[in-house]
Amino acid sequence: MNLAAALLLALVFGLFAYDVATLRGKGRRVLVLEALVFAGGAFFIAMPDAATRLAHAVGIGRGVDFILYPAVIWLVRESLLGRRRRLEDQAKLTEVVRAIAVLRAETIGERDHGSSRAPAQSSGSSAS
Amino acid sequence: MSVAVLMPIFGDASELRPTLEGVAARAGELGGVTVFLVDDGSPVAIERADVPRCGGFRVVLARHVVNLGQGAALETARALALAEPAFDAYVTMDADGQHLAEDLVRVARAIEAGADVVFGNRFLGDSNVPAGRRALLHAARWFERAITGLRLADAHNGLRGFSRRALERLAIRQNRMAHATEITQRVSRAARELVIVEIPVSVRYSRATLARGQSAAGAFAIVHDLFDRYLFGEPE
Repeated sequence: MNLAAALLLALVFGLFAYDVATLRGKGRRVLVLEALVFAGGAFFIAMPDAATRLAHAVGIGRGVDFILYPAVIWLVRESLLGRRRRLEDQAKLTEVVRAIAVLRAETIGERDHGSSRAPAQSSGSSAS
Repeated sequence: MSVAVLMPIFGDASELRPTLEGVAARAGELGGVTVFLVDDGSPVAIERADVPRCGGFRVVLARHVVNLGQGAALETARALALAEPAFDAYVTMDADGQHLAEDLVRVARAIEAGADVVFGNRFLGDSNVPAGRRALLHAARWFERAITGLRLADAHNGLRGFSRRALERLAIRQNRMAHATEITQRVSRAARELVIVEIPVSVRYSRATLARGQSAAGAFAIVHDLFDRYLFGEPE
């Protein structure tokens, strides 16, 4: 095993140990999933020839490509889905904050002026 | 005529009282003004004591419990205004003294005269636009034309007027500064049914307003938010 592989393995185990310490009882299932993925990663770090043999078996030239391609595809997908979820959550938060603002709105002074036009036929738009 | 002023505010309220007093002074001239003032989660909340009292002038004060952005505050003001019996004109206006009360009157009169949408053009009025800000706004103008198809000389002026039927079409979903482009987009889509005009207005910059105004980084954030909307569509 070379120095690069040793450092990568140390990083993988270090990250996992940190997550175990910080998540504790909150995310045990996440930790299990992370353990499986990290175990697979650690295996290919320690045994790079295994990745190359697998890559050749499916027609990919380099072992590292065999791991990188699906990882990049998955990460791009997660990034886009995460962004969409963030926008949806922001829209929901906005609705809640707006509802509270409208409920608590206070009036200072009196409206003693009406419209000089006939009331418009509203198309149903109101507090959104 | 009755006028609804939609006014978002965040942060420094030092110019709020003079701005409201300027509007209140015109209330009698217009017939009556209601300001829908939405505090967008300011660190120091806007209080009743910040609002001057005078005849024909009324303020509906609402507060976001967290900061969402100027677009969100404007949409809350819109919702509050539409929930009331109809006004003759609806005018959006900044709370920091940039916009002049006499221009509010001119915008409202343009709506009364039959326009559905009035955009203010600071370059035709008596404005002290710094060179750097002018360059940024010119770039924004070309960007807006490309995105919306509307040929406006001043794309991001916060002083705008709407008839009720135009305001009803204007649901703002962009919380932050991209709301200005969103407003223009919605107006553009309804351009065949709406009378759209642009009138000269004056914008007065102070050091404080310049510090708060749009920067290149802010422009990038606008493009980013518009791209998100293009990619993911409108929230349901």
